[in-house]
Amino acid sequence: MSFALNEIEATAKRATRGAGRDWGIAEEAAKATRWLCSQGIDGAAVLAAVLNQNDGKAAADLRPQSLQGDWQAASGALCPLQTGASLSDCAARLTAGRITLQSVSNPAMLLPFAAAAAAQLGQCVTLEWEGCAAVTDGASLCISGDALLVAETSGVSASLGGTLDEQAAKATRATADTAAWESLNSFAHRTFAPATEASRIAGAGAGLSDND
Amino acid sequence: METNAQTTISRRDPALVMRLSRLGSLHQCRLSFMRTLTRRLARENWSFARPFFDIDEKGVGHAVYSATGPDHTYSLVAFAHDLPPEMRSDRVIATAWDATFTLFDGVPTADDIARLSKNVPHQEAGRVNDKSLSVSRANRSVRLWEHMVDALSHGRQPEAETVASVGYLMRTTAVYGSGKLGAADYEKIACRPEMSAPFQAEMLSVFLTRAFVTDLVNHMARARGGDQAVELDHETALSLGIGNSTGLGMAPFIINHPVLFNNWTEAREEAIARVRSLPSATTEEAATFLSLFDRSKLSVEAWHSNHPVQIEKLSGLAADLDKITAHLNHVDLTRDHPWNSLYTWAEGALSEEGQEMIASLILEPYGHLVDELASSMADGRPEAFRIDGAMPVGTVRALIETAFGWTIDTNWQAKENCARAWYVSEEKLEPRLGERFEEPIADYEQPLAPARDAAAAHAALAKWDADLPVAEFLLKQPEHRHTVRRVQICADAPYSEVQDNTISATVLPIDMLRYKLAVFGATHFDPRSDRWVRISMFGNAPYPADLNEENADLWVYPTAEEAK
Repeated sequence: MSFALNEIEATAKRATRGAGRDWGIAEEAAKATRWLCSQGIDGAAVLAAVLNQNDGKAAADLRPQSLQGDWQAASGALCPLQTGASLSDCAARLTAGRITLQSVSNPAMLLPFAAAAAAQLGQCVTLEWEGCAAVTDGASLCISGDALLVAETSGVSASLGGTLDEQAAKATRATADTAAWESLNSFAHRTFAPATEASRIAGAGAGLSDND
Repeated sequence: METNAQTTISRRDPALVMRLSRLGSLHQCRLSFMRTLTRRLARENWSFARPFFDIDEKGVGHAVYSATGPDHTYSLVAFAHDLPPEMRSDRVIATAWDATFTLFDGVPTADDIARLSKNVPHQEAGRVNDKSLSVSRANRSVRLWEHMVDALSHGRQPEAETVASVGYLMRTTAVYGSGKLGAADYEKIACRPEMSAPFQAEMLSVFLTRAFVTDLVNHMARARGGDQAVELDHETALSLGIGNSTGLGMAPFIINHPVLFNNWTEAREEAIARVRSLPSATTEEAATFLSLFDRSKLSVEAWHSNHPVQIEKLSGLAADLDKITAHLNHVDLTRDHPWNSLYTWAEGALSEEGQEMIASLILEPYGHLVDELASSMADGRPEAFRIDGAMPVGTVRALIETAFGWTIDTNWQAKENCARAWYVSEEKLEPRLGERFEEPIADYEQPLAPARDAAAAHAALAKWDADLPVAEFLLKQPEHRHTVRRVQICADAPYSEVQDNTISATVLPIDMLRYKLAVFGATHFDPRSDRWVRISMFGNAPYPADLNEENADLWVYPTAEEAK
């Protein structure tokens, strides 16, 4: 099925919130997923992998414990959403040198945040992990290697520079893997309050006959 | 003329403008989206056609209405249904309607129509593709519809009082655009001049819907009365708008789109500042104002509501109109910064309804000064979303104090200050507002209380070194990321936040609905409750076939003939 990018964004935001993340992170995940889709990558599948991998885990353990030195999680792999948000927040630090991230899950989800950093700096940013190098200037993306969609990598390097050779074609619609889309919708469902008769009557404020 | 845009009077303070009671007193103005649309359609000499109308005697079938401009054709594909009364509901949870629509990008083929006919009538339960720019539905005003079909089918015109008491034959209950249900994202059309102002596709769909509804009532009268039936009198048809019935879904929009909220408000505030800054006015400009003020009075006379809040506001507005009339009798509107004098007088003498009516009305003689601001009302800054993580903690705190200074001392633990919570029901994803301390909804709360959240972030930031980059704070306390983004947006967009409590025990969501609908260009706000409102759109506007540059703009103000 073909989706509007707005639909992808709206569902990604609800799903991320449903997975227990803060609203500000859910907003980042929504924009990031949309950006991946606009680059022709199935962002919904990447986000579903991120949320499923970390469902039920304490978010505080999955984020960089410090922004000094190499970035690493308290245990296990870094979550690319929180790590990506920090990468975008710390864009200016890339001018002083590369940032090294130790062990990241679903590193493809870092790409939109690298793009946000590149757009802020007005320069290309390159992300590299084993089997994959990605360059972005914020708007476009150039990927080499075949390990874009790995579930986890032992380390990612973020640095300024790189050249955009073969750019991915831009997409204005998205096709999402069916199982991943269902997974996002089931996460999103957690944000919906169960209907009660009281809320049906009072919550929306109608309740009058519309046959007038 | 470059001097035109110089202002000596500054824009009004957001602390004044962004209070809910004032937003809930807004009136349409030159920059309203409906008027921006009809001015353009006339200026560019758009042509309109009805290539298809295939509806049976029960009122079931479909029709196509097209609008063709310099570069594109847009087609309203309308499906008419025979709806049992027990299924008629204006709420999101409805599953069937009297009529359903999509605005198609281009001219639909037979295959397109066949595909749309299997989806559009089901609305949320169907799917469209990126050839659709909007999806919408409408229900009849049962009372007026029946009266009108009955009268016309018997060869009579409907009673003027009955027509005036409702004002529309159908009311839309949702107009979805921008990617909803699979439709095209706004980005697909944003670069087209006719779509560069916000909500132009949705407004065009409603403008064409009005033509369809009038054709349909004539068709149904003929089906019932045969040769005995008469066509609806043109003057009566002109007086009819399209109603709209709007619930809570629209209220979160202005909070969820702070840049748009700012741009809509800032454009009007800039327009007001430009006109207030004029040192003098010509006699023609003064005459235009006076004439439209008189016509506004007719519009207010025709504005009815049964809701206690609006009844009180209307009575205040009626008193305001009397005061304005008396005031205008002894002021010279041509000299001594006349519009600033008038506005300043209004601030001291009138209710917020009256003040905002004056603020909108003084723009009318000055299309050449203000109409171009419509092009600044879209959101052209997607980068505003990105957080500046290098900003020091102390600067972020100061921004919160600027944007939300009024809330820092609010006791957010007090029940009356956080009595409500916004949530989304699993039942067809209907947005609702509930009682936090009486219903199990707090866990499902949507982020629609920016003031409370700003106060919390302000307190949390106080524990951090003011010189540290906010990126450090956000890493450890991501629960404030949403708020930090908002206050950074507000630094460049001072009208992006409601400066009021959106979850208090006394909040009136209809204030937020009224604001947005007024920006669209709606009139005759008629609340059905504190969170539900009916309005009229395009009442007294020309029909597509009659649109020209003379009637394309000021139709919103009824003339004495129209008001009879």
